[in-house]
Amino acid sequence: MTSSVYIHIPFCNSICSYCAFTKLLSNSKNIDDYLITLEKEIKSKYQGEIIKTLYIGGGTPSVLSLEQLKKLSKIIKLFNFSEKIEFTFEVNPESIDLEKIKLLKGMGVNRISMGVESSLPKNLAYLKRNHDFNLVKEKIFLIKKYIKNINVDLIYGLKEETLADLEKDLDNILSLDINHISTYSLMIEDNTYLKIKGEQEIDEDLDNSMYQLIIKKLTNNGFRHYEISNFSKPGYESKHNLVYWHNDTYYGFGLGASGYLDNIRYQNVISLRKYLSGNYVENEETLSKQDILSYALILGFRKIDGINKKEFFNKYQVNILDLYNIKDLIKEGLIIDDGSNLFISYDKIYIENSILINFVGE
Amino acid sequence: MKQENIRNFSIIAHIDHGKSTLADRILEVTNAVSKREIKEQMLDNMDIERERGITIKLNTVRLSYNYKGEEYMLNLIDTPGHVDFSYEVSRSLAASDGAILIVDATQGVEAQTIANMYLALDNDLTIIPVINKIDLPSADVKKTTQELIDTFGFSENEILLTSAKTGEGVKELVEAIIERINPPKGDFSKPLKSLIFDSLYDSYRGVLVLTRVFDGELKVGDKIEFMQTGSLYEVTELFVYTPTLKKVSSLKVGEVGYMAASIKNISDIHVGDTITLVNNPCSLALPGYKPMQQVVFTGLYPTETNKYNDLRDALEKLKLNDASLTFEPETSEALGFGFRCGFLGLLHMDVVEERLEREFNLNLIATSPSVIYEVLLTDGSVVKIDSPQKLPDVTKIKTISEPYILTNIFTPSEYIGPLMELCQNKRGNYKKLEYLTPERAILHYELPLSEIVYDFFDKLKSISKGYASFDYELIGYKPSNLVKMDILVNGISVDALSTIVHKDFAYNKGKVVVNNLKTIIPRQMFVVPIQAAIGSKVIARADIKAMRKDVLAKCYGGDVSRKKKLLEKQKEGKKRMKQIGNVEIPQEAFLTVLSNEEIND
Repeated sequence: MTSSVYIHIPFCNSICSYCAFTKLLSNSKNIDDYLITLEKEIKSKYQGEIIKTLYIGGGTPSVLSLEQLKKLSKIIKLFNFSEKIEFTFEVNPESIDLEKIKLLKGMGVNRISMGVESSLPKNLAYLKRNHDFNLVKEKIFLIKKYIKNINVDLIYGLKEETLADLEKDLDNILSLDINHISTYSLMIEDNTYLKIKGEQEIDEDLDNSMYQLIIKKLTNNGFRHYEISNFSKPGYESKHNLVYWHNDTYYGFGLGASGYLDNIRYQNVISLRKYLSGNYVENEETLSKQDILSYALILGFRKIDGINKKEFFNKYQVNILDLYNIKDLIKEGLIIDDGSNLFISYDKIYIENSILINFVGE
Repeated sequence: MKQENIRNFSIIAHIDHGKSTLADRILEVTNAVSKREIKEQMLDNMDIERERGITIKLNTVRLSYNYKGEEYMLNLIDTPGHVDFSYEVSRSLAASDGAILIVDATQGVEAQTIANMYLALDNDLTIIPVINKIDLPSADVKKTTQELIDTFGFSENEILLTSAKTGEGVKELVEAIIERINPPKGDFSKPLKSLIFDSLYDSYRGVLVLTRVFDGELKVGDKIEFMQTGSLYEVTELFVYTPTLKKVSSLKVGEVGYMAASIKNISDIHVGDTITLVNNPCSLALPGYKPMQQVVFTGLYPTETNKYNDLRDALEKLKLNDASLTFEPETSEALGFGFRCGFLGLLHMDVVEERLEREFNLNLIATSPSVIYEVLLTDGSVVKIDSPQKLPDVTKIKTISEPYILTNIFTPSEYIGPLMELCQNKRGNYKKLEYLTPERAILHYELPLSEIVYDFFDKLKSISKGYASFDYELIGYKPSNLVKMDILVNGISVDALSTIVHKDFAYNKGKVVVNNLKTIIPRQMFVVPIQAAIGSKVIARADIKAMRKDVLAKCYGGDVSRKKKLLEKQKEGKKRMKQIGNVEIPQEAFLTVLSNEEIND
C-alpha cells in the first residue's frame, strides 16, 4: 500500500551553481499553468490511499506567491492525510516570509527543510546563493514559532574550503538549534554552472577528513547519524526519506519527479512543454524480483543501522544472507551481522559504492 | 593468353610514398574499375589498412591492357611498405618478375626504399624507378632523381615521373611495365609446379590459396599434392581477382590466382610450399622461403578467462594469411591462460592485436613485449628465452646475451644531435654518420633490440617532427649485464609485470615503474604497496593510498534508478580490469612497465 507522495515544484528565482535538479526560472504564468497540470496528474494517478508522508521539494517551492500557495493548498486537499502525517515543505531563506509560513502551517505542513548550504560568505558566493547567514537566522527564528521540526542542508567540500572553515560552518549551523541536518559533499555534475566552468571536486582525502569532522561534531552535539548523509535528534529522522531507503513505494508528481508504484519505477518528463501537454512520464523501469532485491540492498545499506534481517524476510520471502555474495562480504568484514541487522562496517560507509556494486548487474 | 604477354609485377616503396594510390590509378588506366567505383586505396580491403593508410596484407589483381594491338595480362601483386613486413614483401617478390620502385618527390630516398630495393635485387627482378607526387608544390624532382642515381646507380632516362593523384605519367608507367619487365619463364609442357605465396580464410570455401604457376597448368578438378606437407586435395574452384572475384577453369604457366580445394585443415597450408599434380608430379619443389625470424614476443591474454578458445581460433585464422605470426600456449599466474606470440616487429604486433580485437571482437591484455635472450648457464649449456618468466634461477646463470640491431636512421641533418641523444639513452653504441647530401644524413647506431620495442619509433618521429625514417637489421647477440626485475603488487609478485633490465639502469627504471603503476592502478579499499625487486632485494616502492571516498551523497527527489545506473556503470568499469589477488589492475598497467618516463598524474 502506497502511503507516500513527493511533489516537485521546479521553479526558482535564481539558479545555483551546483544544481542539477529539474528547475526553471519562475514566471507567474508558467506556475499557474503548472499547478493546473499538477492537479490533473494527481487526479489521474492517486488511488485515495491514506498518506503518511508528503514531501514538497524543488526547485524552490517557497517562490510560489501566496495566491499560488493557496492553489497548491487546494490541490493538497485531494490527499487523505493520516493523522500522523509528516508533511515537509522546502524553502529558501529569501523567499519565505511570515505570511507564507502561516499559510503552510494552515495547509498542514509540519516539517520545513531549508536550503541553507553554508553560513560562510565565500561558500555562498561560490554556490551562487543570494542570502547571508543573518537572513537564515532571522527566518529560522520566524519558522520556529509555527513549525518546530526543521531540517537544514549543508554542502561541504567546496574548492579552497579548509577543515577550519567547515568547523566554523558547523558551529554556525548548530547555533540554529534545529533537529535535522543533511550534509552533502559537493558533486560537480553535468549541466551545472560549476561543471561548465571546469571546476573540480576536492581531493578525496580531504573530503573524507571533512566527513569525519562532520560526524564527530554533530554526534557530539546530540545528533544521531542515521543515514550516509543525514543526522537527526532522536525521533526526528525524516520519515519520508526512510520510505526511499526502505524500498517502499511512493507517488512522484510534477516535472522531473520520480515515483515507484507496484513494480514500476518511473521518471516524469523534464520538459515543461511536454508536461503541460499532459505527457507526464518519460521513463518506466519494470522491476523483476531480482531488481527489487537489488534496490532493497543498495537503498537499505544507506542506513547506518542497515537492514533488519527479519523484516527483510517478511517483506521479500528470502533470506538476505543468501543474496549475492553477502556471506563473503561479511567474512571480509565489509558488512557486519549483529544478529538482528546487517549493516556496512562504519569505517567503510564513505566508500560504500565499492560494496554496493556487488548488488547490481549480473 | 600467350605466356609472353603476361607480366607479373609488384610495387615497392617506403611507407606513405603513394604506393596504394598509384595502384588505384593503374587499375583505372587498365579499366579494371571505373573512376566512379574507386574507393580510396582499392586494394587495401581490411578496415585497419584503410584507416592507418598502410597495406598489411598483400593482394593480387589481374588486369588487362591493349598495347600496340596486343592484349596483355598484368598481374599486380601488392606489397606492404613497412620494414616489419619485409617477409611479405619477399613473398610477393618471389611471385613477380619485376618491380616498380616508388620514391616520393617531396621526401626522397628513405630507409625502406633501400631495404625493399635490396629485397627486389635479391629476387633478380627488373626494377622500374618512379618518382611520384610530382604534382605537389614541395616536390623536388631534380634532387630525388639525383638521389636515385647516386644511391642505386639508375640512369636518368630510366626514371619515370608520375602523380598518382592526377594520373599523370600512369599510362606511360603501364607501358613501361610491358616493355621492360620480362614475361614469366617456365614451361607449359612440364609437370605442374606452383608456388603458394599467400592464403586466407573464407567462411564458405575454407582456405583459399594464392598461387603462381611456374610450370604446367592448374585446372579445376585436378588432384593435387602440397609437396612439403604431403597432403592431397582436389581443386574445386579457381579464381582471379579483377578486382572482383571471377571464376576461371585453369591457371596456366606464369599466371597468378586463387585456388579453393575444400581445405579445412589450416595446418596443411604452408606459404612457400609447392603445389604439384598427384598423377604427374614435378621432380623438385620450389626453394620456398626461409622461415621468418620473429623478434618481438608478447603474451596475449583474454580479459575474460573464458575467451581462451576464441583467442586460439582467432590466432589460427590470422596465422593463415600471416605466416610470420607465431604463438604457443602460455600460462600466467596473474592472467591465466593465454598465448606467447611472436612478431616481426612492433608494427606487426600492433596490427595483430588490433585485428584480434576488431575482427574477432576480443578484449585482450598484452604483456610488455620481450625479445629473445640467450642465457649461458653455469653448466655450459645455452637456453633461449622469449619471456622474463622463463629466465632460469640467477645462481645457474653465467651470462645473458641480448640481440643487437644496427640502425639506418635517415634524417634531416638538424635532428642529428637530438637523435644521437635518444640512441645514447637507449644504450646505443655510435657507429657511423653518413651524409647523403649536406641536408640529409644516415645515422648508424648499434642498439639493443629490447630498447626499441617500446617507444623508440614514436620518440624518433617526435624528435624529428616526423621527418626521420628508420630501418634496422639484426646483427647478433652480445652479452649484457641484465637482471630480471619483478613487480610485487600487495606483496604478490605479478609474473606478467616482470621485465629484463640492464643492471645499471635498474634502480631508475624500478622507480619509474612503481610510480607509473601507482598512477595507473586506481585506489582500492585498502593500501596497496607496489614494489620493484631484483631477486629478494626491493629496489623501489610506492604505495597506492586506500580509497577514501566512493559514495553518492544524495538521491534526487527519490530518483534511485539513477543511483542504480551509476553503480552498474561503475561495475562495468571494474570488469575491464584484471583482478590479481584482491587488487584490480587496469589493462594499460601491463604495458607501462617498459616506459622509461614517469606518467603525469
